[in-house]
Amino acid sequence: MKEKKKTMTKNDDEEVPFPPENLPSPSVSDYEDSSAHDGESSDSLDSQSESEFEDGSPDNGSSGDLESAENESSQDEDIVNDGDGGNESSDIHQDGAESDSSEDEVAPRNTIGDVPLKWYEDEPHIGYDIKGKKIKKKEKQDKLDSFLANVDDSKNWRKIYDEYNDEEIQLTKDEVKLVRRLLKNRAPHSDFDPYQDSVDWFKWEDAKHPLSNAPEPKRRFIPSKWEARKVVQYVRAIRKGLITFDKPKEEDGPYHLWGDDSGSTEKANHLSYIPAPKQKLPGHDESYNPPLEYIPTQEEINSYQLMFEEDRPKFIPKRFTSMRSIPAYENAMKDCFERCLDLYLCPRVRKKRLNIDPESLKPKLPSRKELKPYPITCYIEYKGHEDAVTSISVEASGQWMASGSSDGTVRVWEVETGRCLRQWEVGEAVNCVAWNPLPDIHILAVSVGQDVLLLNTCLGDEEEQKRIKELLWVDSSTASDDSGNKAPTVSWLKDDKHMGLRLRHFKTVTAVEWHRKGDYFSTVMPADILFESVLIHQLSKKLTQKLPFKLHGLAVRSTFHPSRSIFFVCTKKSVRVYDLLKTKLIKKLDTGLREASSIAVHPGGDNLIVGSKEGKMCWFDMELSSKPYKIIKCSPVDINNVIFHRSYPLFASCSDNCTAYVFHGMVYSDLNQNPLIVPLEFLRGHTSSNGRGILDCKFHPRQPWLFTAGADKLIKLYCH
Amino acid sequence: MNMNEEESGDGRERSIQVRFVTKLSAPFKVPTTAIAIPADIARLGLSSLVNALLQSNDPDFQPEPFDFLIDGEYVRMSLEEFLLAKGISAERILEIEYTRVVAPRKEEDPSLHDDWVSAVDGSSSRFFLTGCYDGLGRVWKGAGLCTHILEGHSDALTSVSVINPEGLETVTVATASKDRTLRLWKINTEEHVNHPMRVRAYKILCGHKSSVQSVAVQTSGEMVCSASWDCTINLWQTNDFNGEDDLVSKKRKIGGQVEESQLEGEAFTTLVGHTQCVSSVVWPQRESIYSASWDHSIRKWDVETGKNLTDIFCGKVLNCLDIGGEGSSLIAAGGSDPVIRIWDPRKPGTSAPVFQFASHTSWISACKWHDQSWFHLLSASYDGKVMLWDLRTAWPLSVIESHTDKVLSADWWKSDSVISGGADSKLCVSSEIPVR
Repeated sequence: MKEKKKTMTKNDDEEVPFPPENLPSPSVSDYEDSSAHDGESSDSLDSQSESEFEDGSPDNGSSGDLESAENESSQDEDIVNDGDGGNESSDIHQDGAESDSSEDEVAPRNTIGDVPLKWYEDEPHIGYDIKGKKIKKKEKQDKLDSFLANVDDSKNWRKIYDEYNDEEIQLTKDEVKLVRRLLKNRAPHSDFDPYQDSVDWFKWEDAKHPLSNAPEPKRRFIPSKWEARKVVQYVRAIRKGLITFDKPKEEDGPYHLWGDDSGSTEKANHLSYIPAPKQKLPGHDESYNPPLEYIPTQEEINSYQLMFEEDRPKFIPKRFTSMRSIPAYENAMKDCFERCLDLYLCPRVRKKRLNIDPESLKPKLPSRKELKPYPITCYIEYKGHEDAVTSISVEASGQWMASGSSDGTVRVWEVETGRCLRQWEVGEAVNCVAWNPLPDIHILAVSVGQDVLLLNTCLGDEEEQKRIKELLWVDSSTASDDSGNKAPTVSWLKDDKHMGLRLRHFKTVTAVEWHRKGDYFSTVMPADILFESVLIHQLSKKLTQKLPFKLHGLAVRSTFHPSRSIFFVCTKKSVRVYDLLKTKLIKKLDTGLREASSIAVHPGGDNLIVGSKEGKMCWFDMELSSKPYKIIKCSPVDINNVIFHRSYPLFASCSDNCTAYVFHGMVYSDLNQNPLIVPLEFLRGHTSSNGRGILDCKFHPRQPWLFTAGADKLIKLYCH
Repeated sequence: MNMNEEESGDGRERSIQVRFVTKLSAPFKVPTTAIAIPADIARLGLSSLVNALLQSNDPDFQPEPFDFLIDGEYVRMSLEEFLLAKGISAERILEIEYTRVVAPRKEEDPSLHDDWVSAVDGSSSRFFLTGCYDGLGRVWKGAGLCTHILEGHSDALTSVSVINPEGLETVTVATASKDRTLRLWKINTEEHVNHPMRVRAYKILCGHKSSVQSVAVQTSGEMVCSASWDCTINLWQTNDFNGEDDLVSKKRKIGGQVEESQLEGEAFTTLVGHTQCVSSVVWPQRESIYSASWDHSIRKWDVETGKNLTDIFCGKVLNCLDIGGEGSSLIAAGGSDPVIRIWDPRKPGTSAPVFQFASHTSWISACKWHDQSWFHLLSASYDGKVMLWDLRTAWPLSVIESHTDKVLSADWWKSDSVISGGADSKLCVSSEIPVR
């Protein structure tokens, strides 16, 4: 920029010699020239004042002449003023009329318009009149003649040469007056008084409602505050988006005229027009008279016959000489009509397609690989029983396992090798076995028919054996006393044959469950409807208590809370939760099952699962509600047992269809997080016998292993 | 025509230049000249080829099966596939090393026991020991030749171990049992007896609260260590003098006859750290003990301080453990799945096993390294099979299927035999295994 400026200035410097007058356009200069020329041409030496008038620019040099003129005019005025004012005016009128008429009368008026007069300089005519006739230039007077004429004529100074019409005009007195007034910057007409007195047109004094003559208030001259406030309001509202402007209406853009209408589906509830499905437009092949190259040869037709039915072309082009010879021609009209009928009458329904991936509806579960370890394969079988194994129980350390069978034997197995260590003949089918949960008290509770046997397994060292023997010793006299005093619900007897104790019940005992401290155990007699069907026994004092609650329904199983003095009784339809210390019912859990068969409590104590005879398993979160948190359909037939693992987040169910189902059941300490249940594995391997499959399953207390007891006389160990 | 013939010949069989080398001694040596053999030949073909070569040298040579190694790996497929799989060029002369097939040539008659044979020990070349579920230990001179019966345990034996295998006249033996005790015995192996001699323990080691699962002897024989279900490892003195004040002598009367006194010993150190049953211990060096446990870990203990040095976690219950192999430092262990895992503790970050052998179909009950070979080990499983392994191939060298039930224990004996005891109450001896 600076450089440019510099150059510019340089140019300016250079251009200084050129006169600036040259800059205007030539036409203007022409005009000026012409005017100058006119001035020259009309140069009546005397009439400088005239030229002054024409130019309209008062010159100092000519001021003297003007004054003289003025003086003259004033003289005239004086003369006029001397006369009558009305005369004056009439005179003026006359003059005006004269001038008008004269103007009208002047026949040849130039009609060339506003063009440079220079064009007609060399012409013999000055222009054209209204009829198109040339107006001849008047012959120019000789300068001397004109001078003489001017000198003679006293009114010469009033004459003006009109170059346009090529005539001389004599200004009237009034016109001269007008001009003079204008030159003095006064109103052109002398009768106009700019300073006339104001006239009060209204009477103010007595008027009832005076027109206000109060001055204009100031507020009319200053910007309104209220308006400013309103504007601010609007601006804020616009900024906040409270005021929305209508969008400029979009004009319909180009649209696909022959496009598929079905794409632009309106979302309307009302019946909407559903266009007929578009048919594929026929191509050359479908023509009645296709070009030769479209017609298959006989060989090709033969080859179609060899093709697979689905690959064969549906339409084979054929040639016909005319439309009439097409076989379909006969029926063409009818077909057309029916097609129209179809299109018209066929009820069409818009298919609402739900584009939801069915996979996405599944809950997101962690993969099974992440949830290892869990039992997968069977490695060890425990063979020896001669009839269905009904119940198993694993010792607290996990070294031994006990099983009871329908063949009337109870066996103790070594877990590691599958060797049977001991065997008791109890005579009747065993319903349930339960190992004392304390690791140093190797006592086995076995329910056989109406009895519960407490067996010494003879494991453990001498001291432990001594304690066990003390526990299992009962004075027959006190026992009889006990039974004499109260209603003899259960009698504690000595069993010499098996070196243990025998608790004689009145009905068949189906389930035995130990308390975690190994002193109490509960027995369930489902057949007993009249009496209390659930009893709690104390081993150290050889005492039996009834459950101090009324049960509604038939008790199936019972279990102790793993850490608190809470007792669960599972009846056919519901689970009742009792507090044993306060002896009151805490909760009633509604299973919604037809017939519950088993119950297991999570080692945390707040969750429990109930298995049912219809193959369903209910998971209860007791903090959540008394309704099941999840119902899992495990098997089509009865579930015989459900069980939680003590340390791993696993639970399992076993059913009569010879499968055990292992689940991952994670309970979080965070109360906001619901338990995570993931099905893991079906464990198969048992065979069905008499319609019964796996009768019992138990987890190894320390390993993620599952023992299953089958009706096929086998016990299997599934390892991870 | 010529071209065609050559092409077709190429397509049918390509030949490879090979040279047979061996570390075997004189009768098994073949000339080291390179020969061309067809590429689709497999182990059997190679073996018959070598046998033919040997017979051409020595007409009296008895045919012998051979195994073949190329670049330290056993050939278990056709030569062509092997070269393709390993990316070895078939252009140069291939060196094939051959060894005699590691497989038992002879199966002795099984020696029947009264109950399950739960433990065997073949660390002495003169005899081997067995432990049985009837509570008796037995000393055998050979298959079917029982010399001594170790009597005294009240429950099944779980482990037996010879304390000084090369002792001159009397040999000391340790046994562990489910009756929560260990017993030490002295036996005179030189005596010639017609019927088995009954021996009583000279020392009873009490202190475990639960059944003892395994016993291992220090290399010098002064101490034994035992692993038990009570999650502890106890260390015991083996000396038999009566100096300690805590030793209690007992007189036993059986049938009115006073027998010799028995000492009772107590553990002088207990290694605590395992959280579940310790199933196996080995004591390969004087200062360190390795133990395997049901809590899925293998631990190395320092004997002097009783501290746990290193842990290896496996994820499965472990039943057996042995140290051996290259530099006696590889750890082989098996447990509640059909996989034998071998760790190399010298490698940094040893959590992953360096070898895994998975041909069994059930729990592994025993695994033992060969005491002279770096590559060979045996394994016994509940599927009734004993397998011989070489680290240089993923397949078992041979499978001994002499048992009809679970094999509970197995060991090498005299470095060319395998002894194994199982739940079918049989003791099987498979001999003439040409390791090396």
